[in-house]
Amino acid sequence: MFFKTIRLVFFVLLFFANATAQNQELGKVSMAELESKVHPNDTTAVAAILFNKAKTVFVYDIRNGFSVVHEFQIRIKIYKKEGLSWANFTVPYYVGYENDKKDVVEFSNGMTYNLENKTVVKTKLTNEGTFKQNVNKYWNEATIVLPNVKVGSVIEFKYTLKSANITKFPVFNVQYDIPVDYFEYNSKTPEFFIYKPILKGFVAVKNEMKLENGSQNYEDKFNATVNMYYKQINSMFTAENVPALIGENYVDNIKNYRSYINYELERTRFPEEPVKDYSITWEGVAKTIYKEDDFGKELNEHAYLEQDVRAILKDATTPEEKMDIIFKFVQNKMNWNNDYGFYTDKGVKKAYLDRTGNVAEINFILIAMLKLAGIKANPVLTCTVDRGIPTYPNRTIFNYVIAAVQIDDKQILLDATNKFTSPNILPLPVLNWTGRLIEQDGNSAEINLYPSLPSRKNYSLLLNIDANGKMAGKIRIQRKDYDALRFREENARMNKDNYLEKIENDWNGVDISDYSIENTATDFSKPVTETFTFSTEKHSDIINGKMYINPMLFFTTTVNPFVQEKRVMPIYFQYPKLEKFSINFEIPEGFAIESMPKGIKIVTPDSVASFSLDTLLVGNKIQIQVSMELNKAIVSADYYDALKDFFQKIIEKEKEQIVLKKR
Amino acid sequence: MKIKSLFLVLTICISIAVQAQKSEYNAQSISDSLKENANAVVRLNQIDILIASQRSMTIKTKRVITVLNEKGLRAIDAIEWYNKSTTVRSIEAIVYDGLGNEIKKIKRKDFKDQSAVSGSTLFSENRYVFLDYTPIVYPFTLIYESEVQTSTTAFIPEWKPLTDYFLSVEKSILNVNCPSNLGFKKKEANFSDFKIVKSTDTPTQLSYTATHILAQKREEYSPDFDVIFPVVTMGLEYFNLEGVDGNAKTWKEYGQWFSEKILSGTDDLSAETKTKIRTLVGNETDPIKKARIVYHYVQEKTRYIFIHVGIGGWKPMPASDVDRLGYGDCKALSNYTKALLEAVDVPAYYTELYGDEDKMDIKSDFVSIQGNHVILCVPNKDKYLFLECTSQDIPFGYQANFTDDRNVIVMKPDGGEIIRTKIYDDTDNTKSSKGSYTVAPDGTLSGTVTMVSEGTRYGRKYYLEKMQPTDQEKHYKEYWDNINNLKIDKLAFVNDKEAIRFTENVAISAVNYGTIANNKMMVPVNAFTQYTGSVKRIRNRKTPFEIARGSADSDEIKVVLPAGFSVEFLPANFESKTKFGSYTTEIIKKDDNNLIYKRTLFVKSGLYANKDYDEYRLFMEQVNRNDNAKIILTKN
Repeated sequence: MFFKTIRLVFFVLLFFANATAQNQELGKVSMAELESKVHPNDTTAVAAILFNKAKTVFVYDIRNGFSVVHEFQIRIKIYKKEGLSWANFTVPYYVGYENDKKDVVEFSNGMTYNLENKTVVKTKLTNEGTFKQNVNKYWNEATIVLPNVKVGSVIEFKYTLKSANITKFPVFNVQYDIPVDYFEYNSKTPEFFIYKPILKGFVAVKNEMKLENGSQNYEDKFNATVNMYYKQINSMFTAENVPALIGENYVDNIKNYRSYINYELERTRFPEEPVKDYSITWEGVAKTIYKEDDFGKELNEHAYLEQDVRAILKDATTPEEKMDIIFKFVQNKMNWNNDYGFYTDKGVKKAYLDRTGNVAEINFILIAMLKLAGIKANPVLTCTVDRGIPTYPNRTIFNYVIAAVQIDDKQILLDATNKFTSPNILPLPVLNWTGRLIEQDGNSAEINLYPSLPSRKNYSLLLNIDANGKMAGKIRIQRKDYDALRFREENARMNKDNYLEKIENDWNGVDISDYSIENTATDFSKPVTETFTFSTEKHSDIINGKMYINPMLFFTTTVNPFVQEKRVMPIYFQYPKLEKFSINFEIPEGFAIESMPKGIKIVTPDSVASFSLDTLLVGNKIQIQVSMELNKAIVSADYYDALKDFFQKIIEKEKEQIVLKKR
Repeated sequence: MKIKSLFLVLTICISIAVQAQKSEYNAQSISDSLKENANAVVRLNQIDILIASQRSMTIKTKRVITVLNEKGLRAIDAIEWYNKSTTVRSIEAIVYDGLGNEIKKIKRKDFKDQSAVSGSTLFSENRYVFLDYTPIVYPFTLIYESEVQTSTTAFIPEWKPLTDYFLSVEKSILNVNCPSNLGFKKKEANFSDFKIVKSTDTPTQLSYTATHILAQKREEYSPDFDVIFPVVTMGLEYFNLEGVDGNAKTWKEYGQWFSEKILSGTDDLSAETKTKIRTLVGNETDPIKKARIVYHYVQEKTRYIFIHVGIGGWKPMPASDVDRLGYGDCKALSNYTKALLEAVDVPAYYTELYGDEDKMDIKSDFVSIQGNHVILCVPNKDKYLFLECTSQDIPFGYQANFTDDRNVIVMKPDGGEIIRTKIYDDTDNTKSSKGSYTVAPDGTLSGTVTMVSEGTRYGRKYYLEKMQPTDQEKHYKEYWDNINNLKIDKLAFVNDKEAIRFTENVAISAVNYGTIANNKMMVPVNAFTQYTGSVKRIRNRKTPFEIARGSADSDEIKVVLPAGFSVEFLPANFESKTKFGSYTTEIIKKDDNNLIYKRTLFVKSGLYANKDYDEYRLFMEQVNRNDNAKIILTKN
């Protein structure tokens, strides 16, 4: 029976392969390793991890039960001076448990190898190069500084991380900023614990698993030695010649593309105890989370809110109205303390009283109030952009929670932690692939967090040009949705004078006056609008009696955002965007048009991006209409060449000038 | 009975006091002039410094801040540092809303406690407690009080009535009490234009009150904050540094104390190491040549790390340890290099200074422990050479952009001496470009250019060699952002560390460089050195502006125009001379298709008056405009 369960998991993970058993042991540095001058596969590498071998074993004692020991053995070759920083190594470890024993980190076998006059010189890492310190109430740090390291050195060390945390293992990175020649991770997990190994990234990792016998000796309460026998899963992951992870522009989070292995506890099965489900399915995840006091219980607290809900909804009738009122009420009343998480910390009641709280506290208050008003509302677990992406059912990846409201067939996402959001407009760091809506009964659904409609930005300009090429005019800029959110957030942080100086500067030296702004804080569902007048002498050239004008003025695209020749990672634009420009020139007295750019439409395959420019001459007025749309928040690297080409063509088009000649 | 009435009186007093406080710090009572440009208002910042003895100082702070908006939060500055010699005796805060009603009391246990380790600091004995407050309403007023006790009297905090931009001050008070026998001294700077009253100034007491300071705006190219706004620097002749007593009236005495009490005993080297370095130097007799050999040895052998232990991080790790371990911080590496130099009979002196892109001086008229960095001074006949010992890459004696042109304190054998470091003359900071480009009939540009950078310009370039190829490509695409479709065809560097000269040889191409419309082609003539930036317009500039380092560019580029086109228009030659520098462009027409483009741009360093700023901006605007001048060609 028990064996069956293991079998099942076993099959899911079966990638048989013959990992060539490499003989890489600490203390046995080869001459070839010391003599090598550049990395054979990557001549630009400043250093390389020659091997990174990790393993996890379980230990048992009568008082604390099972705990884990993770052991890491690492050998690094330093190729260039810029690689010297790899000779300092820091391991943060958690000490903030409420009940469990603090994690412990121990370094050992630290050694530096140098080749001096063809002989190997070893320098040992001693206590003077080993440091431990308390960073804050949650974290400690252990650091080693290897001695006598220079270009050409080979260094190696070992460390163990002992932890009572068996629900989540540390992340085992397969890929680093430098090449990894050999990676290995071996875990021996007793049959009582079933883990889901999550493998991420583009690197080919081999996996071999077998079921074998395991045992533990421990002392019982009478100090007698007891032998415990059980089955265990021995799982081995290996990878060879892993290339360095290199960053690119327009990437949401490079971590999402790094290769790593992460273990998460799915269930425990102890003899004579019921099976405890931790995750495995989204249903399991949902149920587990709801069972936690800091989630389910806190989410269902509502007595403290009843009076306030009644008072604010006095005159409200429709569910939409009620939702709006409650959202604005919570958004105004509550203040986010910048702490993340989907569990409450001090509790919703205290948070409500203090008017400050973490993400869970604020959005649980929101959900509870919505429910009191008879509106269907559920939590949606999400990860912020800097956290990563949830790809497999698991719970420890999440670090944030928002609310999803269902009114008729419409689903509306809400987050009350930010002062400038509105229904269906989430803070930018929350816009990250998908979230997981979970209900108390275990139902769950994937929710797309990226907006489907583009955020609009409209520029309209009306300008006069005099015979000397000096321009003066009026401009109106409207921003909606995410563009409005971004602007409002920045505007709240920025001084007005500095802001104007920044525009004057960005727009290549225009002079701005009569600046006014509407709706920065009144109604977030409406656009924020800026209007001002401007003048400039810098956006036209008079050459040989002819006047040359850039039709897009200071909005001319001059730099292609994509410069690299190749691309691996998806291209990230945050959210879909639609920018429109309407520019109207009045031709100066005594001038007539000689030429102006012809209209154009540029569209990438699958309409990922599109651009159009139209010009029109009516009497002595020139009208330019430009529209530029990026249709997706994130697109695959397959579109890279097309997008690069798209911007290239825009730049070329916008370079074409309006030429006026003397009449 | 008697007790009872007393109690009553007391209660009344307390409630009156509370009432008084409530109205006093009401946000509405702030005058409009103080709200202008302010994100926060300092209602009161009272610092009481009590120096009880050479080994005991207590600093009490009471700060009342009204925060007007989110941007003003940093003005609260509720943070105290501590270590073995410093303890935070008390720290607390109370928050009031805009009307003066109490919202929250924050006790010591609600402050967060954090290690000072971060970034390049791998280990530190220093820690800090700080307040992480989430405001629930703006404006609000926070009263912060703390008391810190320390045995280190070598550093008396500077008094700055104004601490930041966009911050106004109702009242700022400093009181200092000090026994007469410790030689208390002070230095005032930048007091004019500010309302500061000095109520007491005796050998044992000092008191200032500053009132009504308006919020200031930050302006580009401003000199350092401390150079424009009031600051009082204080110190003792008899002080204590992390358990070590010291006394110094002059820099000479300071140097003697430092060498004797801090440095002594840290420069031993094993006989083996001494022999090794002597062998390496061999028969060389010239001290500078010897120093160069030793410097390169250190660069190959060591790496920089920062570990903050020992006498508050003031005493270098012993030279023998650096020799054994191969790493250290600026103190350790400088001291190690000094020990090696002494082993080969080259004198070298430990030197303290401020390492910063801004040229920050050790205040030469105020003897005290100053600086944030250590380098090495090597006498070179009647001059001095300075060695930065923390970098594995920079050339021997190179100082630009971090330790150049500033007063430093050099620990000579007979005591300390203030010496000015190397000045990089404007005319020596050169970048000269020589090359050629061809424009094809379809507008495609192809060309090669050799750019040579020297002086301070070397420091802005040499790292290119170390960059990953993708980053190099990115660098050039940003550097030549005036060339769309840029392709780097060839890239080669020569880093001459001896002459301190960095050469870039680049071959590039770009389609559609010349834009064609209606049988005409426009070609921006200056392809390789276009200044595309601009100097920001600032309305009513108040502060002077500074060009810290000058530079001299020169270009000579051959231009080959496409066959089948004739020149319709050539930009005119241009010349501009201002007090900030000069700019010239010249086009020499060799024949129908061959031109030579020449350009020079010289920018002069200096401190200029606020009213000169607009002229400077216009000068750079001329450069921008003329750098973008275009040739117009007509198809034959």
